[in-house]
Amino acid sequence: MTIDSSPSTDSRLVALDRIDAIGYPTKRDEAWRHAPHRLLAGLTFGPPVESPSDVPTDLESRIPSLDGPRIVVVNGIVDAARSDLAGPGGVRVSTLATVLAEHPEHLAQHFDRADEDVVDAFIALNIAYGDDGAVVEVAAGVTLDVPIHIVDVTVPGTAQNASCTGVVITLGAGSSATVVETRIGDGTSFGGSNIRTTVTLSDDSTLEHVVIQDVPPAQVHLGRVDVTQHAGSTFKARSFNLGAAYGRVAYDVRLVGVGATAELSGLYFGLGEQVLDQQVSVTHDAENGTSRQTYRGVLDDASVGVFAGGIDVRPGADGTDAEQSNDNLLLSMRAEVNTQPRLEILADEVACKHGATVGQLDETALFYLRSRGIPVDEARRLLINGFADRAVDDVGIESVRTWILHRLGHSDE
Amino acid sequence: MLHVKDLTAAIGDKQILNGLDLDVGAGEVHAIMGPNGSGKSTFAHALAGRDGYEISGVATLDGVDLLEMTPEARAAAGLFLGFQYPVEIPGVNNMYFLRTALNSVRKARGDTEIGARDFLAVAKEAMDLVEMKQDFLNRAVNAGFSGGEKKRNEILQMAVMKPRLAILDETDSGLDIDALRIVASGVNALRDPERSMIVITHYQRLLDYIKPDFVHVLVNGKIVQSGDHTLALHLEDHGYADYVNHDLDDAPDRPLAGAAS
Repeated sequence: MTIDSSPSTDSRLVALDRIDAIGYPTKRDEAWRHAPHRLLAGLTFGPPVESPSDVPTDLESRIPSLDGPRIVVVNGIVDAARSDLAGPGGVRVSTLATVLAEHPEHLAQHFDRADEDVVDAFIALNIAYGDDGAVVEVAAGVTLDVPIHIVDVTVPGTAQNASCTGVVITLGAGSSATVVETRIGDGTSFGGSNIRTTVTLSDDSTLEHVVIQDVPPAQVHLGRVDVTQHAGSTFKARSFNLGAAYGRVAYDVRLVGVGATAELSGLYFGLGEQVLDQQVSVTHDAENGTSRQTYRGVLDDASVGVFAGGIDVRPGADGTDAEQSNDNLLLSMRAEVNTQPRLEILADEVACKHGATVGQLDETALFYLRSRGIPVDEARRLLINGFADRAVDDVGIESVRTWILHRLGHSDE
Repeated sequence: MLHVKDLTAAIGDKQILNGLDLDVGAGEVHAIMGPNGSGKSTFAHALAGRDGYEISGVATLDGVDLLEMTPEARAAAGLFLGFQYPVEIPGVNNMYFLRTALNSVRKARGDTEIGARDFLAVAKEAMDLVEMKQDFLNRAVNAGFSGGEKKRNEILQMAVMKPRLAILDETDSGLDIDALRIVASGVNALRDPERSMIVITHYQRLLDYIKPDFVHVLVNGKIVQSGDHTLALHLEDHGYADYVNHDLDDAPDRPLAGAAS
């Protein structure tokens, strides 16, 4: 890792100092145990360098086509020509650089993190260098009927091979919105993206937040979503961890208000030697919260899947109802999955369930399909799709569901 | 149509079929009855091509050797197995499954594939046969179906696939009387001079609804007696005690020498 030091604000200077203090994640850090550290060490970060010519020409065919505002970020810098910030009334979509210049106080939650929140060097790097990206602010009481699309494109350059992007989503009381983050890249050279999303949900607001991670196989993707939920709010996370040599999607969800609901579901589908890592942590810090973690993995070839799901029920968070499940389908003798629940319950009257399964294709089901004339390869495909597609069903927007099924090669037609 | 000669099947050291002979002519309905563990389901699965058996002997359908074929090739050749325990396949839509099945065998036979719209008409006809509603097709294959719904779904598949030879493995098991009537009338509607059926059952009850041309008794992996439908009635009265090596507890109907004081 090499770091160019030209941070522009105090919190960023502090962040760079923090990297020195906590160092780089190693195999001994539980949350990074299965990460390919050799690849991580090859990432070079620095202030973003503008290079608009890098945008793939076939961009539109590689992302879902959605109605509504769109921000396209290329190597950590918003590409204004490909973005359309105009949205319906009640929502403001801005570039992070603009808000940082004009209303930095709106970004306090994102940048001014307490030391104990900066748990790894990549958060610190993102604070230091992620000075552009997207800011979505939804006014109180507004229900958006079009999704907001944030597209992140990484094309490893020569100055540095990794970029940082920031996304800040804030929902006013009683509002409702859908945000889709599609993360892609281009080229065959090594590099990576480090995207940090900060979500704040006011009382009784509802956000569906979809992450589609589909960067090229030569890249590393480090995604992190930090969520603060106030009373009665609902957060629905749907992650599709599909691309990258090492694809990481981490969530830190905190239910700080009474009666909040967090529903997280995800699919990881590994091929070749991919390592697909889901690090999920849900903290119940108020009474009567509900959380669900539902993750499915399909691992083929020599790919590795990781699910580390944490449920923390803090003192006083009585009446918490938390569940977690992780089901995995191994398609190859060389594929591997590591599933690890972590539960810490310090409150009363808590309902907490967790379960994990690891299995292979059901031979009886395979015979059943073949006995109906369906050739063995097609029968296998049907069973794999049937397993994976249940994660897709959770997505609310039909065009996103269709796009993911198409990406997985699961379209019915 | 179906010719089976000296068929044996084993799993590891365990011999299950011991030289089974059976000939089924076009349009005939044969019932195979037998006690638990006699090899009825193994016979059905061996004909359909399930992995895991060591097989020897002869089994041909319309003169074509079945035993060297994959399960999907047997289906394309016109064989259909109605499962005793239809498999739940969550996430796979019933309609899509049915159409994929039908188009797979059409493709294997060199026929054109059938489009979604035309298929709906085919499915509608089959659904009426087993008194199913449209929403059945939109659910995942057998997932969360009741026992009766699963068996009706088997007959629905048979009606769509229109096989040359249908083997119905304990189709009556787990059915209440209404579901049995629906399943049986579906089967009867599919009787055809060009279609043969093998109905495997433990109980005579099903044969009140589906009248077989022949009844065979399978014991220890061999057919030990064959006859017309009256044989089933005899079995109903007498059980399988005449055919099996039993200890005394299995044959309460027989006077036991020395037992009466």
